[in-house]
Amino acid sequence: MEVEVVGTDPYGDAAYKALFEGIIGDIGKTFMIEGAKLVLKPEVPLFIFSVVLRNVPGGKTISNVASLRQEREDLHMSISEERYAPDVLAQLWKRYGRSMVEQQTRFDLIVHGGKAEEIESIPISSGETAIKEILGAVWRALPEGIRNRETLIDDRVVTVVATEETMKPEFLEEARTMHDRMVEDARRHKDV
Amino acid sequence: MFEVVKYDGGVYRSAELFEAIEDVGGTVLHQLRSAQMLTVTMSIPEEDHGVLESISKEIGGDLRSVPLAGTEIAVVGCTLGRHHMPHPICDIAEVLREGGAISVVMGLARGRGKNTSQISKREIEVLDEYDAVIFMLGNFKPCVETKRFLIEDITAPVILVSGPMPDGMDDCCEAIVAGVGRKCERMKSAEERAKLAEIGSTVNKVIAERKRQLEEDPLYIHPAELKQLLETYEPIDMCLRPAPIVLHLDGLRVKIPYKEHKDYFDNLMVYGRRLSEIADITESKLQDSSTLIRIRTTSQIEDADRKKQQ
Repeated sequence: MEVEVVGTDPYGDAAYKALFEGIIGDIGKTFMIEGAKLVLKPEVPLFIFSVVLRNVPGGKTISNVASLRQEREDLHMSISEERYAPDVLAQLWKRYGRSMVEQQTRFDLIVHGGKAEEIESIPISSGETAIKEILGAVWRALPEGIRNRETLIDDRVVTVVATEETMKPEFLEEARTMHDRMVEDARRHKDV
Repeated sequence: MFEVVKYDGGVYRSAELFEAIEDVGGTVLHQLRSAQMLTVTMSIPEEDHGVLESISKEIGGDLRSVPLAGTEIAVVGCTLGRHHMPHPICDIAEVLREGGAISVVMGLARGRGKNTSQISKREIEVLDEYDAVIFMLGNFKPCVETKRFLIEDITAPVILVSGPMPDGMDDCCEAIVAGVGRKCERMKSAEERAKLAEIGSTVNKVIAERKRQLEEDPLYIHPAELKQLLETYEPIDMCLRPAPIVLHLDGLRVKIPYKEHKDYFDNLMVYGRRLSEIADITESKLQDSSTLIRIRTTSQIEDADRKKQQ
């Protein structure tokens, strides 16, 4: 994750870079983020945080993150993407109960009485949740008094513009310009 | 001369330690037991330090000097929110506790923001009850400088801790420690630990200066002596709050309500005088279930005596 900071206060720029990286690391979403640009103008005050995601977050089902094999009444499952293992287990426990889900190893499970056609389409993560978590992290990284916020989302770029009192049209315009440039860069980068 | 030291160790054979404190004529200022661990802050004659040290070693503990003992210090953030409150404030409070102080962490009700932050008169009055206030501000120089008004009316000594070094704030606080701003993790790197040590030594200096001022015109009675008298009062003895009596440099905080025990406090006899004659006794501004006693200085009492004779 590359973070670029454009600001007017050298100490604050370095501190906010560390803070942003720390908070994104705390919520465990570093892998989702390709880069970010932070514009910090504490004297105004105006803060623009623009985050470029690696992919447009989409929904995931169990079949996306695990391979399934039906053997008579039981379904054997092998989880291939470790970070979704807790979500897979949580969904299976919710639907079949803990006694019916036998965990042989960290990634190998048997669901007694489970049907492949039923289990493969169980959703375990939605794109909306991922965006919400990233927005939450950005809000947490912003200074606490900076409560007047607007959010722009296009493709895989999420931009938050925030100020303390009135959100002036020029603030929004600056954020929109930066957001459009980030979207353009992200598209170009993807094409290359 | 008496010195304040802290014992850290187990509960095992701690009765021997308490007996030794009594034998050398010392006083227990504060004790905290957590499971099998025991921390005792005590005031002992300097010449008996060796005796207590050998007993502490014998029973498997450790005795060290604590320059901040007998003080209550507030560490204040702009708010209690997760943006302002966590790690640096907690780390600073921990350093103060290691130094022997009772540390209190608090946030302002409306302290956030550059243009919208406020401090109320009541908040200032609460902070003035402490021996020192460590005020923690953020990472941006313009914001820190704008928030000057938050600390300039506080009478208690203020130590400002912020990220960048602000300009034009030297006259509204006793000391400034820069290099600690808002952080999202514990201060555990070598530089950060050094910064915490710097904060600790700055607080020591401020408290030492305050003690020096008090020595110029000493208090009528030392707060630790008054504490011994108050401990015999049953409601205080039975009080279940941690540290029912907290020492200040110029008095005490007693954690029972003044309204209910006014007669006792006002009429307690201290060296032939009523407590109300030698101290200002008020309800704490922090909560009405505590009483704040500020002991008057010898010259104040002599002055009052002279006025009475006239």
